[in-house]
Amino acid sequence: MNEFVQEIQARFEVLWSNPQRPDLMQIGVRQVNALPLLTWLKSNTGYFILNHFSAVDWIEDGEFQLTYLLTDYAARRSLMVCVRIDRAAPTAESVHHLWPEAVTYEQEMFEMFGISFPGSPRQGVDLLLEGWEDIPPMRRDFDTAAFAEEAFGFRPGRTHTNPRDRVAIAFGQKGFLHDH
Amino acid sequence: MGVEEKGKVPLLPSGVPVGSKPHATDSTLFAQGRPKPLSLDESVAFIKNWFRAQSLNVMAYGTGCGSIELGPLGTSRFDMERFGITGGPTPRQSSVLIISGYLSVKTLKRVIRSYEQMPNPRWVVALGSCTINGGMYWDSYSTIKILDQYLPVDVYVNGCMPRPEALIAGFKDLMDMIKRGEANGYIEYQNNLDWYRANQRKVIKDWNLPEYSW
Amino acid sequence: MELLLQILWSSIGVLIAVAYGLLTGGIVRKLFARIQGRVGPPVYQGFIDLGKNFFVRDNISHGPMFYFGPALRTAGGVGIFLFIPAIVGWAPGENFSFAGDLLLVMYFMFFGSLGMALGGSAGGHPHTPIGAGRGLSQMTAFEVPFILAVIALVADTGSFSVHDLTLAQAGGFLEWNLLTHPFAAAAAFIAMLGMNGYAPFNVVGAPNEIPVGPMTEYQGGFIATLGTGRAIFAIAKMILFMDLFLGGATSILEAFIKVFVIYMWSVAVAAVFPRYRVDQSMRFFLGWPALIGVVAVLLALF
Repeated sequence: MNEFVQEIQARFEVLWSNPQRPDLMQIGVRQVNALPLLTWLKSNTGYFILNHFSAVDWIEDGEFQLTYLLTDYAARRSLMVCVRIDRAAPTAESVHHLWPEAVTYEQEMFEMFGISFPGSPRQGVDLLLEGWEDIPPMRRDFDTAAFAEEAFGFRPGRTHTNPRDRVAIAFGQKGFLHDH
Repeated sequence: MGVEEKGKVPLLPSGVPVGSKPHATDSTLFAQGRPKPLSLDESVAFIKNWFRAQSLNVMAYGTGCGSIELGPLGTSRFDMERFGITGGPTPRQSSVLIISGYLSVKTLKRVIRSYEQMPNPRWVVALGSCTINGGMYWDSYSTIKILDQYLPVDVYVNGCMPRPEALIAGFKDLMDMIKRGEANGYIEYQNNLDWYRANQRKVIKDWNLPEYSW
Repeated sequence: MELLLQILWSSIGVLIAVAYGLLTGGIVRKLFARIQGRVGPPVYQGFIDLGKNFFVRDNISHGPMFYFGPALRTAGGVGIFLFIPAIVGWAPGENFSFAGDLLLVMYFMFFGSLGMALGGSAGGHPHTPIGAGRGLSQMTAFEVPFILAVIALVADTGSFSVHDLTLAQAGGFLEWNLLTHPFAAAAAFIAMLGMNGYAPFNVVGAPNEIPVGPMTEYQGGFIATLGTGRAIFAIAKMILFMDLFLGGATSILEAFIKVFVIYMWSVAVAAVFPRYRVDQSMRFFLGWPALIGVVAVLLALF
């Protein structure tokens, strides 16, 4: 895979690369290079299938990471293209013209992370959260438990049983499973 | 004359802008009346209840993962038809609504609609821990936790997931309750509609259902 | 006086036919269950379903046309039953048979489905016209072999009266049209599979695709009326086939047995066959069964 990364490096700037498995390579590129790189990968190499398209919230860095998982089925290899975008104004270029299936991913990411993809169809159309008023729920500063507690409430009399507590009750405070 | 003012969308007779997607509250499309409160006393209730209990129609609507347990009920191993329980293909022809597992807010809207389309008497069987107190989705942002705040539940079957045998036991309980005249959730719903509506509107933020989904 | 008495007898006959239809429906459900290795519902489940549907507390209507579906369907069933002799040669069982009743009965067969198409469409559900369209197109297809078979019988006997057609078969089972007109019988019995709406040809009310076709919006009392209509319709059709091909019946017991045997023919086919799409079933009915019907007509004419 390393030769292939060098081939990319010759055309676009690769910030970092991380061979996760013999058949899975992870590379990071700048946002300006993302769309040219993906277009080049789709039209000139075997990596023309978008397997997965998702986002990660790096709240400490103030960035979102978009991950495009491309697969070359002939060579049985996958390439993970990671792009960091600004968290304060999350906007990325849509790839729906390359892969029509990306529309649903982009719709979902708009809803779950608030990342907007200008030009993508169904942008802002409700997918799962109809009438959502809070901040997007997959952002890490969204407190799911507190929201659920406030919006849906608990039935009175609910008790909480953590398996670790049960072990502690059975085997004393030392704990059985965690004691090596 | 004859030239549309720019930026102004013409309206339909019902006051809805042309080209907007049909809205469920559009009064030209849906009946707007509210149901009358129901009373408990019926003539020859004993005979009617016996017939109702012996012939339940389960609506073919799975809301969560528990609906995977509904399929085996019709097969030769569990065979719910021997109790007179059959599938109801549409809400109009069903008498039992099974909330099978977790219920997201989006699905709740559809469930309310389906439930109100079912003719009285109708019963709700809630399946799994999620309907009782959230279950493993206790901290989820999109699933409701206490089902009986939104719909009147007659029988709860707990477990995660309950086996088909447990569901059949729940059905037997429901049949006994109907025969004794105790399964009156539908009367409760119709008489306390405002309370249920308030709870439903609290979680369904973009409420666009009609006054009552006939 | 005689007319009043006949009305009384025929009303009792209708009630018996409904009860027998419901019971046969229960037996069929039990049979299907046993074939699939299940216990199955009790044989009287049809009566319980009927009672339960009558005891639904509210019925939602979609305007006056909505009532036509169940009404016309039941009227079609009752009409067929009233205009053919259930038991030949016994005045209470003769009903209102008259010369030319066969034409009227053929019309009544279309009646129910037309009523469902009219009434169901008033409900406004998109599945209703799909189901009604499938039902009507399938019906047009299976009417072809059935009418060819009837034409063959009529051409041979020279009468449009079911009563005369039945009397022509008197004198032992060797005289039955089933044996004397085998081609006509084959065409008609294949057409019956479509009429009954069991498995190979049950796409009209396919519960998994278009919930129940024309009946999607009906509930409660409407369904109970439809169930009654279906029960009597099934029995009346079987009586027609019995009169046309199995020499009619001379006693109630004989009528019960023959009707049950004819009913089981379509059940036996239904138990082992999957479902045809509507274009496939049309192609089927307009193929070999129609050809057999043509052969039957040619044999009767020459």
